[in-house]
Amino acid sequence: MESLSMEMPRVGVSQVLLHPDRRVGADMARWRSSGGGAALARAIQNPAAVLAEVKQADLRGLGGSGFPAWRKWEFVAAEAPKPDKYLIVNGNEDEPGTFKDRVLLEETPHQVIEGAVVTALAIGVNRVVFYTNPDLTRSLAAMKAAIEQWQASDLLAQASTALGRPMELQLLPGSGHYIGGEETASMEWVEGRFPFPRGKPPYPAQAGVHGCPTLINNVETIANVPHIVAQGAAWFRALGIGVGTGTKLYSLSGDVLHPGVFELPMGTPLRELIYTHGGGLLSGKPLKAVFTGGPSSTLLTPVDLDVAMDFDSLRARGANLGTGAMIVISEGTGIVKRVAEYERFFAHSSCGQCNSCKVGTATMSRLLDRIDTGCGTATDLTTLKNLCTMLPGSGRCHLINGAVQLLDSAFHHFPDEFKQALH
Amino acid sequence: MTTSNTTATESGQTPDVALTINGLAVNAHPGMSLVEAAWHGGVPQVTSVGCLEGVCGSCRVMLRRGKEVTVGLACQTFVEDNIEVVFMPPASAPQHHYEISDFKDGWDIHARFHKIFPEASRCRHCHGCDKACPKGITVENGVALAAAGRYREAGEAFFECVMCELCDAACPELIAPAHVGLFSRRVTAHFHLRPPNLIHRLEELRQERMETCRDEDNKK
Amino acid sequence: MSNGIPLAEALARYRADTDLAPPPALTDIDALLNAYHPDHLRDSVTKLAVGANAGDNCQRELAGLLQAEAFIDEADLAGAPVTDIDVLVIGGGGAGCAAALAAAENGARVLLATKLRLGDSNTVMAEGGIQAAIEPDDSIQRHIQDTLRGGHHLGDPALVSALAGDGPEVLHWLISQGMQFDQTPSGDLHTRRAGGMSTPRLVHCRDYTGLEMMRVLREAVIQHRSIEVWEQSPAVELLSNEVGQKCVGAVLTSLLDGQLRIVRTRSVILATGGLGRLHLNGFPTSNHLGATGDGLVLAYRIGARLCELDSFQYHPTGLAHPSHLAGKLVTEGVRAAGALLINGLGQRFIDELQPRDVVCAAILRECSEGRGVRVDDQHAGVWLDTPRLERANPGILEQQFTSLMTRTHVAGIDPRREPLLVHPTLHYQNGGAVIDVNGATTVPGLYAVGEVAGGIHGRNRLMGNALLEIISFGRRAGVAATADRDRGPKKVTLEHVNNLRRALTLAGMPMTQRAPQVLPAYAAGGIWNR
Repeated sequence: MESLSMEMPRVGVSQVLLHPDRRVGADMARWRSSGGGAALARAIQNPAAVLAEVKQADLRGLGGSGFPAWRKWEFVAAEAPKPDKYLIVNGNEDEPGTFKDRVLLEETPHQVIEGAVVTALAIGVNRVVFYTNPDLTRSLAAMKAAIEQWQASDLLAQASTALGRPMELQLLPGSGHYIGGEETASMEWVEGRFPFPRGKPPYPAQAGVHGCPTLINNVETIANVPHIVAQGAAWFRALGIGVGTGTKLYSLSGDVLHPGVFELPMGTPLRELIYTHGGGLLSGKPLKAVFTGGPSSTLLTPVDLDVAMDFDSLRARGANLGTGAMIVISEGTGIVKRVAEYERFFAHSSCGQCNSCKVGTATMSRLLDRIDTGCGTATDLTTLKNLCTMLPGSGRCHLINGAVQLLDSAFHHFPDEFKQALH
Repeated sequence: MTTSNTTATESGQTPDVALTINGLAVNAHPGMSLVEAAWHGGVPQVTSVGCLEGVCGSCRVMLRRGKEVTVGLACQTFVEDNIEVVFMPPASAPQHHYEISDFKDGWDIHARFHKIFPEASRCRHCHGCDKACPKGITVENGVALAAAGRYREAGEAFFECVMCELCDAACPELIAPAHVGLFSRRVTAHFHLRPPNLIHRLEELRQERMETCRDEDNKK
Repeated sequence: MSNGIPLAEALARYRADTDLAPPPALTDIDALLNAYHPDHLRDSVTKLAVGANAGDNCQRELAGLLQAEAFIDEADLAGAPVTDIDVLVIGGGGAGCAAALAAAENGARVLLATKLRLGDSNTVMAEGGIQAAIEPDDSIQRHIQDTLRGGHHLGDPALVSALAGDGPEVLHWLISQGMQFDQTPSGDLHTRRAGGMSTPRLVHCRDYTGLEMMRVLREAVIQHRSIEVWEQSPAVELLSNEVGQKCVGAVLTSLLDGQLRIVRTRSVILATGGLGRLHLNGFPTSNHLGATGDGLVLAYRIGARLCELDSFQYHPTGLAHPSHLAGKLVTEGVRAAGALLINGLGQRFIDELQPRDVVCAAILRECSEGRGVRVDDQHAGVWLDTPRLERANPGILEQQFTSLMTRTHVAGIDPRREPLLVHPTLHYQNGGAVIDVNGATTVPGLYAVGEVAGGIHGRNRLMGNALLEIISFGRRAGVAATADRDRGPKKVTLEHVNNLRRALTLAGMPMTQRAPQVLPAYAAGGIWNR
C-alpha cells in the first residue's frame, strides 16, 4: 500500500511498550539488562498462572476486534495438540493509517518474542509464527536477528523444557495483501496458500493451521503479555482510564501538527490525543472528522472529542476503536475524496471469493470516484445508498461490513457534501 | 420462480410477491422477471435494460436473498418474496488496449497477449468469476487456457459469453476475463479462419473487377 | 382476445402422440392477408399530411410520431456543451459499429452515441445467420434475384446489387475483425438454406450469429483509438445549417442526467435500428428495448424521404408465454425442422412453411375466431408443437436450438415436454429512410444504415439479409461520410424543426404528441419526462 511509509513513525508519548528502555532493537544483552526475560522466568516457574493473570487484566485483542484475548487463549488451552498447536503473532498491518506494529517489531523485537513465548507456554503452543508485513523490511530484519538470538540463547531452551517439547519460532513474511491480516486468511498463508479467508466454523481454536488448534493475536496484544505477567493484573488495569485497561498505541495521522504513534492510557479522550499530543490541527483549522480503526468504521466528529478511546466506549457510540488508527481531517479536506480513497483500498483488498464483497466494493469505489470527479449523478448516489443497505453481512469475512460502515457513516454525517459533488 | 404452462395462472389470481428494487418496495406477480417487476412497480432510472432475453448483458443486478448476495441478469431472474435487487451501474471502460489490425502475424501472439493482459497469469483461483457468470461459463478455466496460449479452446469456453462483464467486476486481479475470452476468439478467427469457399469466391470477384477495369481502360 | 380456450384446458387436451389431420387447403391467400395481416387492418394505415412523404401511406401510430412536435427548442440549447467531431454515428448496434469502424479506418475521428449500452441492439439477438454467395454453385446474381423476389420486386435493384456484391468481402472483413463462423470438416464456411433462398447461402455461428458478430464489433469499437463512445446518450434532434437543408450535427441527451449536448460534425450516420417497441397495432415485439423508431422521426423532421412506411414484418412465432419472454422469437428454423402449429382444439390450421405473412395471418385468424389458447385477457396464441418434433427427432432441440433451450430453461419450461405458446410478433421494419448505395439519405450530410434505412428489402426481408445489410451499408456509409471534407464555419440551427412546425400548423395538425419516443412508456419509469 502506498500509505505505508517506510519512514519510522515518530513516537510521541510512551509508557510501557514503547518506553525508551524497551526500544533497544535486536540487542538481546541490552534488553536483558533492563529487565527483559523476567516475565518468561515467572512463566516457566508457573505457566498455569499466566492465563489467570491475563484474564484478570482483561487484555483485549488490540488488532482491531477488542475481543477479550484471554477468552481465545482459554479456547486454545482447552484443546489437545493435533499434533501441534500454533500461535500466529499477527503483524500484517496493511491498512491506511495504522503504523504501530512495525514500531514494536523493529524497536522492541525481544519484547514481542518474549510475549509470544510466554503466551505459548501458557496455552501449550509449540509452534510460534511471527507473521509480518513483507514490505516492512526493517521490522523483518530486526525480528530475524532477534529470533536468531533467541534460538542461540538459553531462553528458548528453558521454555521448551517447561513446555515438554521443542518450541519453534518462525518468521514468516506475509503476502502483502490486506486481507492476509484476517485471522483465517493468515492461516491459509501459513499453510502456503493465497490468504483467502475461511468460513467459520470450524474456529481456529479447534482447527486452524493444518487442522491444529491455533491462536492468532496481534503484535501489540502479545507485547503486553510480559508486562502483565511481570507486574501483575492490578498494575495493568490501573494504567487505563475509566473502563479501559492497560495502554494503547494510537496511530495519529492526517491534518495534525505532530502525527505519530502515541502510547497513552486506554480510554484517553480523543481531544487529548489530537490537541495535547498531536499539537492540534494544521493552520488551526476546526476539526471536521476522524476516520478510526483503519478505517473500516464509523466516523467520529467534533461532538465525539470527549469520548474515551477504548473499545467499549467507542462501541457505545456506534464507532469502533479498531487498531487505534485516528486519521484526522480538518475543515477544508473533502470527505468524498477521502471516502473514495478508502473504498478504493477496500475494493483493491477484497479477495474475490464472495461476489457480494468484490463486486460490491468495486462498484462503490467506482461510483464514489465518479462523484468525486464531478461525473456522478443522483442515480449513482441512490445506488450507493442501496448498496449500503444490501451488502452488510453478506461476506465470508468482515471486509464488506467495514467498507459499508465507513460509507454509511460518511453519508450520515456529511450528506450535503455528496449532493454538492453531483453532476 | 415460474413455472411452466401447467402452473401458470391468470394474473391476479395468485398473491403478489413483495420485493425491493433499488430501495423501493415493489409488488409483482409471480413469474415476472425482475425487469418486468421494475416496470410494473414504476421503479425510476432503470435504463440498463436491453434485449430482454439474456444475450445483451445489460441488465446487471446484485441480489440479496437472506444473507446471501449474488449477481445476475435481471431479465433472466424471477421475482421472489423478500428478494432485494439493486441495478448495477454500467460497466467501466476496459483497461486493456489492442487493435487486432496491429497484429502482423500470429507468431508473437503469446507475447502480445501477456503484454495486453499482464494480469491473466496472476489468477489467484478465488472462483469469483465462475460464481458471477450468469451463463455458467467456466471462466477461470478459460482464462487459464488463454494464459497458456490455448486460444482456440479458451475462446470455445467463452462461446456463450454475452459480455455482461460481471466476471470483470468480480476479479480481484483485474484480469477482465470476458475480454480475455473475446481476445481468444478474435485471434483464433483472425489468424486461423481461412475458408476455401470464401477465398475462392473473393479471388473470382477480384479478377472480375480487374477485367472490368481493363475493359474500361481499353474503352478510353 | 377474451375468447379462446383457457391455457390449462388447452394444455390438458394437448397430446404429442395423436395423429393429426393435414391443415385445410389454403384457397385464397389474399383474402386471408386482407382479413388478418396487421399491415392490412382497417384503420392501421393513414396518409402523411406534411414532409417529404406527404400523401404517402404510413402506419397510423408511426405517422403520429413522424408528424409530432419536437422535444427541444433553441432556448433549451443555451449553455449546452459542444463537441466537434468528424463523424457522428447514432446507434450502437451492428450497423453503427460497422460505420464507426469504417469511418475511423478512413482517418476520421468518430463519436458513436448510443441510447443504451454499446451492442445493446437487435443485432445481438439475430440467430439465423448472414447471407453471402460463396458456394460454388451460387453467385452474386442469384443472391440479387432471390432478394428482389423475396421483396415482391419492390426493392431498389442498385441497392440490392450493392448488398449482394458485398457479401463475400463482408465475411472477409468480419473474419479479419475476429468473428468466427461454423465450418465444414474441410474448412469451408458452412452454409444453410433458408426461406426464399434458391441455394444454401446462410453463413452462421451456431444459432448465436448476431451475438458473435456484435461482441466482436463492440470490442473492436471500444478498442479503436479514433472512436469515442457515449453510452446512455440518445439523440433527441438533428441539427441543420441556416436554411435547414443540410445535417451538421445532432443534439444528444443523457439518460443518466438529462443534460443536452450539442455535437457538430461533417456528417451524421443514423444507425438507430427499428421500431418494434412502438408496439404498432398493439403487437408484442421481438425487438430490444431501444427500438422506438427514433431515427425515422429525426430523419423525417430534417426533410429526409422515407419509404415503405406501411410495411412491417410480423414474425409468426413470437412467444406468448411466459410473460417475460413475450414477443421473443422462436426461430423459423424450428418450423423448418418440422415443428407443427396447432390451435387450441388440437388441430393444424395452416401449412407451417408458407411465407411469414401468411402464417402470421392464419395464427391471428385462429385467435380471433376463438380457436386460440387464452393466457389472460390480453394474451393468446397457438401451440408450436416442439414435443412432437422432439419425438420424431430425439435430441434435435438440444443440438440445434441451443439458444431456444437456454432461454426457456431459465423460465422452467422444457420445450421437449410441453408445446410453446406462440403469437405473431412485430419483428422488422421493411422500409425506412431512402438511401443511395453509399447510405446517403436525401438530406446532405445525413446517412442512414441498417434497419432505419429502407429500399433494400422491398416489402419483405429474407432471413440473413439484415446482418449482411448492416455491415455492407454500414461500411459504405462510414467511408462516404469521411469523404465529405466540408470544414466551413458551422452554424448549427433547429431551422428544420421550425420548417416542420410551420407545415404542421398550416396542415392543421394537432402537435400534441412529442417525438422521438426514446423509450417505451412502460419502461421509462419517469426518467423521460421532458
